[in-house]
Amino acid sequence: MSYSTFNRKHFDSTKEPMFFGENVNVARYDQQKHPIFEKLIEKQLSFFWRPEEVDLSTDRKDFQRLEEHEQHIFLSNLKYQTLLDSVQGRSPNVALLPIVSLPELETWIETWSFSETIHSRSYTHIIRNIVNDPTKIFDDIVTNEEITKRADSVSIYYDRLIEMVNLYNTMGMGTFEVPGKGPIEISMPKLKKALYLTIASVNVLEAIRFYVSFACSFAFAERTLMEGNAKIIKLIARDEALHLTGTQHMLNLMASGKDDPEMAIIAAECQDEVRQIFIEAAEQEKEWATYLFKDGSMIGLNAQILGQYVEYITNVRMQAVGLDTCFATKHNPIPWINAWLVSDNVQVAPQEAEISSYLVGQTDNSLDDSDFDDFDL
Amino acid sequence: MTSTSNPKVPEKKDQVHRVLLGKKQILVTEDEPLLVQLERAGIHVEYQCREGYCSSCSIKLLWGNVIYPFEPLAWVQSGYLLACCAIVKSDIEIAFFD
Repeated sequence: MSYSTFNRKHFDSTKEPMFFGENVNVARYDQQKHPIFEKLIEKQLSFFWRPEEVDLSTDRKDFQRLEEHEQHIFLSNLKYQTLLDSVQGRSPNVALLPIVSLPELETWIETWSFSETIHSRSYTHIIRNIVNDPTKIFDDIVTNEEITKRADSVSIYYDRLIEMVNLYNTMGMGTFEVPGKGPIEISMPKLKKALYLTIASVNVLEAIRFYVSFACSFAFAERTLMEGNAKIIKLIARDEALHLTGTQHMLNLMASGKDDPEMAIIAAECQDEVRQIFIEAAEQEKEWATYLFKDGSMIGLNAQILGQYVEYITNVRMQAVGLDTCFATKHNPIPWINAWLVSDNVQVAPQEAEISSYLVGQTDNSLDDSDFDDFDL
Repeated sequence: MTSTSNPKVPEKKDQVHRVLLGKKQILVTEDEPLLVQLERAGIHVEYQCREGYCSSCSIKLLWGNVIYPFEPLAWVQSGYLLACCAIVKSDIEIAFFD
């Protein structure tokens, strides 16, 4: 089966599975198999923001006054987040668009990925504002061993799925000899398994991997330092929470068998592997916390507390996709973080566009004469 | 998949229900979602968006009825409730992690 940008077949897309059915042809949203994805699109669009809205001039002064080991914490987190959003700004499109079969899901994937590109642009905005030479920071992302270790884990499932879908689209089913990689078997169950594990690993990326950096950013802001950065991170965290819901819906729909019965079997088979993806990510994030604080802690946060937070948040996220929790930490060791993560407590006036529920064009057009009955001139 | 609403429960706003949490008992009304009422009772609940899309405030619902005035965007696992937007409609028992 090869991919077509406009499938000429006539079919009812509400009868297609989310992935590996017909290629989408008409981008129509009047009939939807899973309306949740359009609701996510609407929510994401209502969240729209631009990095340049946030003034970072005070952050530059703050940054210069940070101690060296605090600058290390701050910059390392920025580098790691830049890596994560570099992957997320393209991979859902590259990996999932060729295999998606529902128009509302296709558009959600594009909307989701687009919002990640805003995050990437915001890191450049921050880095430009706080250092004189951004190149040094960006160049280190591909050479720093602590970061590249994580790059492998976040990209491996995407890369495998993309490779398999490429083979499937050009060669079809069968076992193919790929130079340098040996034989690769392409069958529908193998493709679906690669897809399921990819979505699970993206869920983990958005559910756990971002949160160590978030915690550090907000810990600086608790000391009224780097507050512009914290404001940007708040907006990013709001988006990520929504993306997370998107992947949770995909995973739960797959596991329930309501979307594609074969996918439910694969989800059940993959349960241990998915648990392992969660646990591996949590362990890596704990190691990352140790790396961040190698030269010293910061007020209110150290490697141990951050490690407990990682365990706690991993439990929360595992429960959300129907997995048993796996860490002993049952309480949030840094409960103050929630006050920073909540997105709607900063603005008070609706014209301040960051209120997430504020939608452009929410005017009431259904007026008639009786609405003016109370008016006396 | 989400709410369990009981049509027999009268639609009275000032109705008070008991929420059992371990050995604690909290009285809640139908005027506000569960989360704010738990917080007022001094119980820490994990939260993030407070409007039903992040699923951070998902809590086990052991028995009893809750409804959602607006269908939340987050997936609500069966046997769980989303505290930030659930309105309690009967006595209920809830639990955090095992």
